[in-house]
Amino acid sequence: MAKKSRTTARLLVALTAVAMLSACAPGQVEGQGSSAAPTAVKSVDPAEFAGKTLNYVYFTDGPDAEATAQLISNFEEKYKVKVNLETLPYKDLVTSVQARLSGGNAPDVVRLTGLTDFRDDLLDLRGYLGADYAKEFLPGPVVGATGKDGKMLAVPSDLTLNGPFVNVDMFKKAGVSLPDPEKPWTWTEMIDAATKVQKATGSQYAFAMDKSGHRLSTILNQYGTALVANGKAELDVEKAKKALTPLIEMMGDNRMPRDFWLGSGSRYAGANEIFLAQDAPVYLSGNWQVGQFAKNAKFEWAAAPNPCADNCGGFPGGKYMAALKEGKNPALAAEFIRFMNTAENQETFIKAGGFLPTRKDLAEKGVAYPARQSDMDVFLKDLARTPDLGYAANSDPAFAGSATELVNAVSDVVGGKKDLSTAVSDLQKKTQSLVEELDQ
Amino acid sequence: MTAQTATRLRQRKAPLKMRLVPYLFLLPNMAIFGVFTVWPAINGFNISMYSSSNGRTFRWEGAGNYQRILTDEDFWGIVRNTVVYALSFVLLSVVVGVMLAVLVDQQRRGRTFFRSVFFIPVLISPVVAGLVWNWMLERQNGLINTFLGSLGIPEIPWLVDNNLAMVVVIGVGTWMQVGFYMLILLAGLQSIDPSVYEAARIDGASRWRQFISLTFPLLQPSILVVVVLATIHGFQAFDFIYTLTGGGPVGATTLIVQFIYENGFVSPIRYGVASAGSVLLFCAIFGLTIVNWMIGRKREAA
Repeated sequence: MAKKSRTTARLLVALTAVAMLSACAPGQVEGQGSSAAPTAVKSVDPAEFAGKTLNYVYFTDGPDAEATAQLISNFEEKYKVKVNLETLPYKDLVTSVQARLSGGNAPDVVRLTGLTDFRDDLLDLRGYLGADYAKEFLPGPVVGATGKDGKMLAVPSDLTLNGPFVNVDMFKKAGVSLPDPEKPWTWTEMIDAATKVQKATGSQYAFAMDKSGHRLSTILNQYGTALVANGKAELDVEKAKKALTPLIEMMGDNRMPRDFWLGSGSRYAGANEIFLAQDAPVYLSGNWQVGQFAKNAKFEWAAAPNPCADNCGGFPGGKYMAALKEGKNPALAAEFIRFMNTAENQETFIKAGGFLPTRKDLAEKGVAYPARQSDMDVFLKDLARTPDLGYAANSDPAFAGSATELVNAVSDVVGGKKDLSTAVSDLQKKTQSLVEELDQ
Repeated sequence: MTAQTATRLRQRKAPLKMRLVPYLFLLPNMAIFGVFTVWPAINGFNISMYSSSNGRTFRWEGAGNYQRILTDEDFWGIVRNTVVYALSFVLLSVVVGVMLAVLVDQQRRGRTFFRSVFFIPVLISPVVAGLVWNWMLERQNGLINTFLGSLGIPEIPWLVDNNLAMVVVIGVGTWMQVGFYMLILLAGLQSIDPSVYEAARIDGASRWRQFISLTFPLLQPSILVVVVLATIHGFQAFDFIYTLTGGGPVGATTLIVQFIYENGFVSPIRYGVASAGSVLLFCAIFGLTIVNWMIGRKREAA
């Protein structure tokens, strides 16, 4: 009896302890301790920077790393400072920076693909670089770097554009003419050409694309709709059905690799190896593949214009450089971001990485790439055709989550779990609830 | 004064320093356990009642995260997958584990060799095991279909058919862990007194009869350990599945830990939902372990 009551007492004590611990918030409760962003430009004498240290958290796409190291060394020399470059694997970037913020050890500058996970932690750069600084950049990429009330939370440091590649050797062998970058082909024309080449050459597939919601958004955009944009769910069910039908049909008869789509579950999968193995004559990806193909492709290939439906042009992506509020040297961080994005330095960086420019002056002047200029020009031409909706979609806080749902919706149809109409209307509901959750 | 009370008195009189010594020895381990296991676990319960996308600012949700999870149709699909996986995994682990243990135990020569062969998969990183099996089971260029093709068997969609993918995942999961369970069962087998078999042989019991009436009942304590461990492993399966099927096709092999991982680490990050999922998983495993333990105790008492 006594034993039983002792056990009960112990249990009660343990439960009370847990309840008391649970009563404390695990961290800062929302709405507390926010600080106002500076609005007036702070004048800082660059000489004051001497001897300071800056931490830059970076991820690399490969060929850009060397250019970054060179630019950093120029910066160190000019300002007599030390820059600690920390290169992380891309997939660890968000969690690692979040952990460092939690531990009070925030880096000064980070390279990001989107601001969603850090919006409240980023420094309003207007306070250091001036409100007009954003005007030096193309308006599309600036949308993604702009926060509430026009805050400049980041600087778009490079731009990418989705678009197709063609296997020129296979097209020639099949006697099918290549698309004209000046007069882009339509979706129907592209699929017809790909199917003809497949039949003539006996390749395994006609068309391949990365399994990614970002890549799928290219097609939505071309058919005049988007998942989300400007804090709203934008998906037009009928347009989305029209946009996705060709893909579903091609995966139905395996002109597009069905196993590739279903076999990797919820993970991203790149179809570049399918294109490199010459298993598909047309591959939808983006300009970052140019460098890789130049190195690895054992056949003649070319960038092709994006196919048109209601719209032409591709779907934008890119990276940003942002400074963290919690960083130790905000003024130096802002100066570093400015330095890395002067016309001269951005040109060095994008030439090395095979990116497109975000600066207006570079876009107007054009960029002379060390190799594959004609392919990069195809992307530059498509950039001019790309509708603004793409930029608005890609920079929406609910985009990443919605893009995952888009991949799941396509998988549901390909895997026979849902029909296209149901999958697309379910997708619309999910994007709506993601917008309600994330676009506050 | 009885001897017992005398001992008690002596204990009471032991100087404070002496009484503290055992606790001081335990302190480093307990401190590490407390900071890195107990505290995060309690904090996990706590976070499950908030929403947070960065782990620093929190918004009170109460039971909101639980409500969200429990009313989500997809979650119930994931629960079904997890139950199917865990049950099959436990059953297969016990059956195959006992079979291997008995077979290895009966080897006169090469017992160590076979023990090592079956144990090797336990040592392989689950991520690597998932990748290798994925490569072997690919429909078009995979090793297994290529081999089956040479026998005239048509391509089998191992990883892209919902049911087959689950079978594959269960098979690979068992392959990875069964060597460990085999070792536990082998130790159990070797602790059985050989004289009972001798007596059975004298009584004319067949091999099968000996297994059913002697080996199996005497092995029950080891089987109970295997069942408890396999239940925990079964409910926690994730890493090799993520690289093998990614939880696909169409979510057919998505289990609860993947659900937790994707909420906690894939944008949009929802730490509250991930923690609530972890609490539910904890409750399920804890409940099942208690049930297993009680059944085991009852058997022992009987």
